[in-house]
Amino acid sequence: MPLNPVARFSRAQCPPLDTRYRVETPEGIDLLLRPAGLVPRALAFAIDLLIRGLLLLAMYVVLGLLGKFGMGLATILLFLVTWWYMVLFEVFNQGRSPGKQLLGLRVVHDDGTPVGWAASLTRNLLRFVDILPFGYTLGILSCLNHPAFKRLGDIAAGTLVVYRDTLPARPSLPQAEALHAPFALDLLEQRALLGFAERGASLSGERRTELAAILAEPLQVPVEQAEQRLNGIARGLLGPT
Amino acid sequence: MRLTDASVAIRPRGPWEALDLGVLLARRHAGLLLASWALVTVPIFALLCLLLWDYPGWAIFAFWWLKPAYERLPLHILARALFGDTPSLKQALKALPGLLRPQLLASLTWRRFSATRSFDLPVLQLEGLSGQARSQRLVVLGQRDAGAASWLTVVGMHLEMALWLGLVSLFYLLLPAQIELDWSWQSLANAAAGEWLWLEHLSNLLYVLVLIVWEPVYVACGFTLYLNRRTALEGWDIELVFRQLRQRLTGVAYALLLGCGLLLLQAPTPVMAAEIGSCPLPLEDPRGPEAARLLKQPLSSQAAQHSIEQLLDQPPFEHRETVTRWRFGEQEPAAEPSEEQLSGLLELLEKFFKLAEFWNSIDAVALFFEALLWAALLGLVALLGWRYRQWLGVFAGRLGLPQRTATPPSRQLFGLEVTPQSLPEDVAGTVEQLWAEQPRAALSLLYRALLSRLLDDYRLPLNSAHTESEVLRLVEDLEQSELSSFSQALTLHWQNLAYGHRLPPDELRQTLCQDWRRLFDDRVRT
Repeated sequence: MPLNPVARFSRAQCPPLDTRYRVETPEGIDLLLRPAGLVPRALAFAIDLLIRGLLLLAMYVVLGLLGKFGMGLATILLFLVTWWYMVLFEVFNQGRSPGKQLLGLRVVHDDGTPVGWAASLTRNLLRFVDILPFGYTLGILSCLNHPAFKRLGDIAAGTLVVYRDTLPARPSLPQAEALHAPFALDLLEQRALLGFAERGASLSGERRTELAAILAEPLQVPVEQAEQRLNGIARGLLGPT
Repeated sequence: MRLTDASVAIRPRGPWEALDLGVLLARRHAGLLLASWALVTVPIFALLCLLLWDYPGWAIFAFWWLKPAYERLPLHILARALFGDTPSLKQALKALPGLLRPQLLASLTWRRFSATRSFDLPVLQLEGLSGQARSQRLVVLGQRDAGAASWLTVVGMHLEMALWLGLVSLFYLLLPAQIELDWSWQSLANAAAGEWLWLEHLSNLLYVLVLIVWEPVYVACGFTLYLNRRTALEGWDIELVFRQLRQRLTGVAYALLLGCGLLLLQAPTPVMAAEIGSCPLPLEDPRGPEAARLLKQPLSSQAAQHSIEQLLDQPPFEHRETVTRWRFGEQEPAAEPSEEQLSGLLELLEKFFKLAEFWNSIDAVALFFEALLWAALLGLVALLGWRYRQWLGVFAGRLGLPQRTATPPSRQLFGLEVTPQSLPEDVAGTVEQLWAEQPRAALSLLYRALLSRLLDDYRLPLNSAHTESEVLRLVEDLEQSELSSFSQALTLHWQNLAYGHRLPPDELRQTLCQDWRRLFDDRVRT
């Protein structure tokens, strides 16, 4: 089957697809942000919508008892809940409205700094553009088409919805005698070795042996001992705990 | 399948991130995916419309029901594109009949309503499993991430609806006003059964268009979710790095062997490079740069250093100002409160509480709040005034309010007194008198007078840091040719005399004095 040479060329040019977004600080440090896509954002929005709906319903029931005065208050509160709910939560709660909090998302500036008043107001006022012509059509299309999953409000305000980084759990390594690696390892390879040891429990026994067998020759050990040897090196890399 | 060929970054991700990767993957191959989907579904929809022209509802229902069948094509394209073997449109369409064969009936009947449809499809289509093996595999894969797959389907349903409504309302918005007038909602509702069939078919077509955009994304998201699950289950990322490491290490071993062989073959040759001569370092003064030098002459290094420091200590190199402010005097030692004072204070407090009780009525509270609000307003105004004080200052200048008075021009230049009072009434006359006996004093007087006039009449911002040539440049900026030529001539001869001790030619006296009279004497001194 003949391969399209143009397609092959372009593939060689473009880097592998990844969901990470790289921000370089002035100090030359790369921050890795993980922008959140349409599905979690839609779910977070649905949760927020539900909360707001319930809030308004409760308010109307309570304030309805107060007659016209109550309705006046309710109108003011309706304005606040509609236009300020997201802004206030985002600015005062580290970029997290309740829905985003549940889904593990937060809003930040493009450079990874916490979102401020101007950006938050812009992105939430421009919801109106995203809603056009009905039911967030433009927002959905923009979100699907943008490499960092931004809707139009995000593009205008220079903000990004990212996954929050959670503290990783302390890994448990299989018991093995700590060993020095017989060859130099770069960071990626060290991580892979540690990952092999840490995730051993979630891999099947055969798969573990298969993976370890790849490195049996450079380690100069028989295939059966390779796994144990790799676990030992991982322990050595981890250091005393 | 070779992992090193994968066009996505392989690492274990969270389920949501895996879905996001699917969006990116669909975006990269968007053209092919949309085109192939449209080429398959639009003819089918047209066919269904023709067959079921009178029942548009049934037509779109049948089209919707067949969705799992169309989804196999995008998955085929994505699976091949993942490892760099992107098929062309023609190849993809040719492969479609073969893709439809396995388990189509099951997909279209009892598995039609599975919420994890997109996640399960790769097991069927790419792994080719069926029956017991398939269900076991699904159980293993579905231990994690199946929730995300269900949510994907739920969100997808709502997105389809939202996009469809969006397109419908866009269509409605774009109707010309004349047509819109004829359509009332009621007639639309009444005519639902009758002559508005084409309108219903049109809205069905909009749904088909929405699916062209969304379905490839849906399939891609399910596919990447499946990939992510397998990455976690089988350690694909680990395998990838291990393979690269192995290649590096074994490659290095071969290279070493080869290198050793080459080294042994070649006999060492003598080194021919010349010896590097050392560059001589400057001799260091043992006393250091700060030590006193040139002690046997009038201007020793210490004296020079001293005068340099003095110069650097004066303006314009040093800016000093004296600030005078009011402040509280010395704190008096706090006197012990006497018995009387204490009792007085207690009484006062008691009175205050009584007063507070008395005030405990609405009016007092209202008054308090009023005062508070007024205070807040005043404070705000003051704050705004302070905040924009510079802006106000600019504005006040426009209105002609008194400005800060300009600092008086300096009265001494190059050590010469330049106040008008220090000059004689008739400068030119005095110069003419002095010229014969004391040419130095005469020229100096003329130069001083010129500087004084420049300061007072022309308001040149001269100060003691200006040199003669800088003064000349400032004069040229005034763009008065007569004045500047006079100043140039005078400055030249003054410099010749003052620094070079060269006497000016005698005929110069006449020209300079005449020029002076013409330039300055017919004017009234300000």
